[in-house]
Parts: sequence; structure tokens; C-alpha cells
Amino acid sequence: MDYYLNLINTIGIHTLLGLSAYLLILTGQVSMAQAGFFGIGAYTAAILTVIFEWSILSAIGAAMLVSGGVAFLVGFPALRVRGLMLVVATIAFSEFARMFFYNLKWRVVRDGAEIGPDGTMGFAEIRYFNDNGWLNWEVTIFLWVFVAVVMALIWWSDKTRIGAVLRAVGEDELAADSTGINVTVVKIAAMTAGGVVAGLAGSLYAHQVTDLDHHTFTVLLATFAIAYPILGGLSNVFGTLIAVLFIQGLLVEGLRFLGDWRMLLFGALIILAMNIKPLGLFDNQTIRILRNALGVKRRSGSV
Amino acid sequence: MEDFWYEFVEVTQTISDGLLFGSTYALIGVGFTLIFGAMGKLNMAYAAAALGGAYAGLAGFVLIKAPLVLVFGISAVAAAVLGYAIYFACFRFIPINNHLAALMASVGGLFFIDEVVVHVTRGSPLTFPSMFGDVFFEIGPYGIRGDLIFVFVIGLISTGILLYILFKTRLGLATRAVAQQDVAARLCGIGVHSTNSVTFAIAGVLGGIAGAMTAAAVGVLSPVMTVPLTIKGIIVAVIGGLGSIPGAIIAGLFVGGFENVFLYFRGIDERDMYVVALLFLFLVFRPNGLFGTAITRD
Amino acid sequence: MLEIKTLSKHFGGVKAVDNLDLQVERGEIMGLIGPNGSGKSTLVNLVCGVLKPTSGEVIFEGNPMAGQVPCARLRHGIARTFQNIRLFGGLTVWQNLWVARNSTEDIRSQNILRRWLGSGTTLKREIETMLEFSNLADKADVLASNLAFGEQRRLELARAVAAKPRLLLLDEPAAGMNQAEVAELEQRIRSLREQGITILLVEHVMQLVMGVTDRITVLNFGSKIAEGSPNDIQENTAVQEAYLGHSD
Repeated sequence: MDYYLNLINTIGIHTLLGLSAYLLILTGQVSMAQAGFFGIGAYTAAILTVIFEWSILSAIGAAMLVSGGVAFLVGFPALRVRGLMLVVATIAFSEFARMFFYNLKWRVVRDGAEIGPDGTMGFAEIRYFNDNGWLNWEVTIFLWVFVAVVMALIWWSDKTRIGAVLRAVGEDELAADSTGINVTVVKIAAMTAGGVVAGLAGSLYAHQVTDLDHHTFTVLLATFAIAYPILGGLSNVFGTLIAVLFIQGLLVEGLRFLGDWRMLLFGALIILAMNIKPLGLFDNQTIRILRNALGVKRRSGSV
Repeated sequence: MEDFWYEFVEVTQTISDGLLFGSTYALIGVGFTLIFGAMGKLNMAYAAAALGGAYAGLAGFVLIKAPLVLVFGISAVAAAVLGYAIYFACFRFIPINNHLAALMASVGGLFFIDEVVVHVTRGSPLTFPSMFGDVFFEIGPYGIRGDLIFVFVIGLISTGILLYILFKTRLGLATRAVAQQDVAARLCGIGVHSTNSVTFAIAGVLGGIAGAMTAAAVGVLSPVMTVPLTIKGIIVAVIGGLGSIPGAIIAGLFVGGFENVFLYFRGIDERDMYVVALLFLFLVFRPNGLFGTAITRD
Repeated sequence: MLEIKTLSKHFGGVKAVDNLDLQVERGEIMGLIGPNGSGKSTLVNLVCGVLKPTSGEVIFEGNPMAGQVPCARLRHGIARTFQNIRLFGGLTVWQNLWVARNSTEDIRSQNILRRWLGSGTTLKREIETMLEFSNLADKADVLASNLAFGEQRRLELARAVAAKPRLLLLDEPAAGMNQAEVAELEQRIRSLREQGITILLVEHVMQLVMGVTDRITVLNFGSKIAEGSPNDIQENTAVQEAYLGHSD
């Protein structure tokens, strides 16, 4: 049972991660910085609950603010680089964040034991849920409430002018600019929002695994983050969720019996997917076909 | 005064060692920049292919006691083959303006090659033979490691051959034509796919040599080297200006020296942070790198 | 209303626009013609802020536009259409107009939440009116990329008008149209003028230029070679030479 709860938690956290990248890719910014924001959220929330003994909600809130703030700052230099160069720059940022946490040492003695991030040894003993008597299924529900809220928010904003403006910027910046959309504001806002969501994911992650290691926050994680919205397509948030279910559920866990060979399969599957359906698994056509088949009518002003 | 002189010697020694080692970064950077110049795309699997080639070379050494020159040769050829395979799997069939899908596919390639290597070697690092490891020149207060000189010289020769191919042969001409105007090149009868696959193969040769060089200089070959090498290669290509070969060379040497200086002053844990920060500075203030052409591709 | 003073744009050695002086009066329809490569599109880009001038000034309603990006100029009241249509293909017709209503006075005076939602019956009615005007009312939910060519052109125009500009720059709006479509476009441009919009029309299609403009400026090699009423321009020998060459 615990095994499955763990899996469901991981799916939830990765969905948040994917959604944070989704917002950015809508505006045409392919960002590998989500791993960095994830890590910042994780360490901030963990430090707050472990060293400063904050409650979980305030810690998560603060972590979201911090990672959002960093994302806001990253947003400005990100404006100056386009396309692949942005990928490179954001990889650099995530790596920088990872190395920063690799070197972070902040040990505090409490009740006779040392706690806190310990540089290269990682950050263990993030025991908030345990210490406060949370049952495993309670953690899962808690986590998924956040996921549901974020998904709902993004789904809703897609139906308002926000969604259309984001996509307009992603489609054609020059036309957007000439049509009166302040591209700078939109892109930085997207980056900030992405940072907030990734920070949320990180803070939940830290408390779920109770043990942070810099190896988690690598380019691999950042790749997962953008893989979900790309594979799932950009039409709506459910594409991302399905992509997470597919990748995490099937490949990583369900194929565990393949043992060490699953990464091999993962790599091969990505290559295959990109060759066969470069637009993602749920591109516009698929959605439109599904809609027609199910007889869903669209009102003016909705996607 | 004595102390200052001592520091000075130490630092310049560090810089020169770094410069020599930087020739490996230069080659990897050239490989990335070649592919970006030819196709406008970033091949994330490049360094993995390079190290894969180095592993093949090591296998040659271990299995048939190949002399070092042959080891380098095997590395080059193996990496070229891997390079071609990556082109075929990750770039050939993806629509030409879908940079993202190609990038993702090459990331998949990176994972794939990495895993294969991990399986075959069971994850443990292997020693790589180095040439002239015990040779050591002394010039005044400076000591120059023979193996670093060897590595540097190989780098020079490889670059020379590459430039010869690019600028003095028909193949090179075709490559440059495709890089600049692929539609026009096709109209002139130049096969874009065959030219691009050759570009990948040439880049692969460089990569294999670079991988073997890195392993020879460090003395060890291990799968954990893949991601850092990928990142450093990209950093070098970007700082040098994507698409510019002389830029990549100079940037490679520069990053090598720079990195070593930080190793000396701040230790290995913080060293990479500064390299990455350097990239950031360049991207913000000089996104075209040192010699890059204006990047209008998205 | 629009003043262009000694405006120049050099691309390396090429003088795309060369020391150009031009005035457009409020309420008029000014035509801008010239052979290919004479700098017309560059001029449009300079006025709209897509390109920065090498020297000279663009002044709109007395305000210098130097350093203002396109979306800022839109707020001042300058809108444009693109020669090669740049619609948001992945958005529907409705959404294309919806986002264009981003920066008009009445929208910006609303509070943030209402702006983001983009809802409200006034807005809805306004967009519906614009769709009627452009004969696109029944296509509101169609993706812009799925429209026929003529419909795309109409949407391109509608989108520029949606921003409630006071000056509208049209970059070859009649390209690829048949005679009937050009006549329709002529009607539409006239009614835009009746709504109080000043128009700068860059065009090759003479039927449209001669039919709808009050004054015409002729460019060649980046500078002005003639200016006057449509009749004057038709008689002007310099203009004929620019288009047809000498007969020696």
C-alpha cells in the first residue's frame, strides 16, 4: 500500500513540475530552470521546518515566494536569450543551484542531535510529517489538493484572456508586440509563475522523501520537467498529467522488473516518441477529434 | 616578496596547466559548434558519444593491448560511428524546424548511451593509460607535465586536420554550404542528409579524440564524466560563439585555464559553480559569444 | 498627425530609408508606393517601432516615438497589419481579436482581474461588431490557421482595428486579392476613415491606391521622389521612370 502511495505522490509532484514548465513553454520559453526552482523550494521549505520549526503550510508558502522571487530575477536575463540559448542558460542556472546546495552547510544542534543541510552529505532528517503524526494517506491527500488546485487554476486561466495572451506570445512575439501585448511582462510573469509552482513541488517533495540529495536536482530532472508538457502537448493541462502518468507510472515504476535496463528503455522511448509524434501525444488534432467524437460544443472565447 | 613570487608562479603554473587541459574542452566545444553551425541544433548526446568512443578505445587497450596511438584511433572511429547513429536516431527524421523534438531526442540518446556504458562497466571507473605520464619538463620555476603537452599537441593536430577538411576539400565545402543555406545547397545537388551525417561523423571523430584525451589526462574513465563534459562542452561552444570554430578553440583554452585557477583558489567543490557563472555572464552580456554570428535562429 | 523627419535606416552599406521627410495629416488616407526595395516596408517597421532608425525622428501627435517598443506605440494609437499575415494561428478568430483588445484605454482602466478575465458584455459585443464588420461572424471559433486566405486578410485587418488605433498602417493589404476583393477592401478602408482613423496605405495594387487615397508619396531607393494627389502622381515622369525605367 505504501508503495502505491509513494507512486501516487511522485506522480503528483512531477505533475506540478511538468505544469511549471508548461506555463513557460506556452510563452515560447523552453526552460531547464525548473530543476533549480524545485531545489530552491525543497531546501527553503525543509530549512524552515527543520531549523526554524515552522509549520508546513507557512514553510511551503515561504518556499513558493522564495523560488518565485528567484524565478522573477532569472526572468530578466532570460529575455535576452532565445530558443536553444535559453535552454543552455537555464541548464546553467539549474546546475548553479545544484552546486550551491551541494556546498550548503548549515548545521544546528537541537535536542542533542545535529540537523540541517550538511553540504555534500545532503540534507537528512526532514521529519515534519512523521514528527507531527501525519499518516501516509493524509500526506498523499494533502499533496494532491495542491496539485488539483494548480491544475484547476491553469485550466481556468486558459479559458480567460490570460491563456490566449500567453499562447499569442508563444506563437509570434513580433505579432504579439505589434498587437499591444507587453511581451516582457508576459514572459517574466510566466517565468515567475513557473518558479512558484516548481517551488511548491520542491517543498512537497522535500517533506515526502525526508532526505535531500543534490543528485536529484540535475539536468535529468529538468528534462523530465519539460518532457511532460512536450510529450503531453500544449493544448491543455491534462496532456501533462497523462504524460506524467505514462512516464512515471509505466516506465519508471511498472517496468522496474526490467531492473537497471529501464533507463535504457526510457532513452529509447523518448527517441521513438520524438520521431513519431514530434508535436506531443495530444496535439490539437487529437483533442479536436476527441471533442467531435464526444460531442462537446465550444463556446466563443474558450480554447 | 618571496611569498608573492611563489604565489605568482603557482598561479601561472595553474593557468598554463589549465590551458593545456583546456584543449580537450576546445575539441568538445568545436564538435558542439560544428553541429550547431551545420544544423542549428544542439546535440545533447555529443559528449556521451565522445566518451563512448573513449571506452571503445580503452577496450582496445585492455583486450588487445593496443598501443596508445591505436587507442586514440579506435576512440575516434567508434565515436564517429556513434555520432552517425545519433544523427540517424535523433535528427534525421525529425522535421527540420522542430528544434525542440531534436533536442529531446538527443537527450534520450544521452541517457541511452550513458546507461549502456554503466551496464558494460558495471558503473565503476576504469583506469585509462596515459602517455608520457612520467615525463616532466622543468623551465625555471615552472614544471610542465608531459602528458598535458601530449594532449595539447593532439588537439592542435586534430584541429589542423579539421580545418583542412573544412576549407580545402569538397566535402568541407559541401558542409559549409549546407550550414549556410540548406535549401540552396539541395538545389545544387548537395545531399543535405548525407552531408549532415558526415558532419556528425567528423564531429564524432573530434569527440572521440577529445574523450580519449580527457581520459588520458585525468587517468580515469567513468560514466559520471558524461554530464559535466556535456555541460562544459556547451559552455565552451556558447562562450566561443555558436557556429564559430576559432571561438570554440579559444573559449576551450580559456575555460580550461579559468577552471584550474578556481580549482586552485576555491577547491573542487566550488570550481564548477564559477564556470557556470561565467556562462551566465556571457549569456547576459555577450550572448553571441566571442566570435559568434548573430543568432537569429530560434 | 504623423511627422517623419530626416529619417534614415542603414543596413550596413544599404540605405533602406534615406533622409526621408513625410507628413500624414489627421483624417487623411495617404498612399505610399514605389518599386520593390524602395523602403516602404522598412518605413512601416520604423514607424511602428520594430526597427530603430539610424538617424532622424518619428513624431506622432507631437510625441517623439524614439525608444518606444511596438506595444507602447500601440498605446499611443499606432497599429499596423503585416504584409505576410502574422495571425496567431493556434488561436481562434475570436481569440485573435480578444488579445488585441489588451491595451486600449478602456481596457487598461479596468482593474487587473477584469483585464485578465477579458469577460464582460461590452467587450463581447464590441468583438461581435468587429466580426460582423469583417464578415467573420460565423467563423468566430475557427482556428486562424484554418481560415481561407481572404478571411485571414480580413482578420489581420480586424485585429489591427481592434486596438482602436488613431493611425493605421496597412502593409500591402491587397496582395493576392482579385478585383472583387479589392473593391471590398476599398469599402472597408473608407468606412474605417469614417470611424475617424487616419490611414497610411503601403500598396502595389494601383486600383486600390488610386481609388481610395487622398495623397500619395512615392519612394525610390529609400527617398521621396514625388508627392501629390493620385492624378498628379499618375502624370509624374519621375514616377514613371522609377517603375518603368528610361526609354533611351
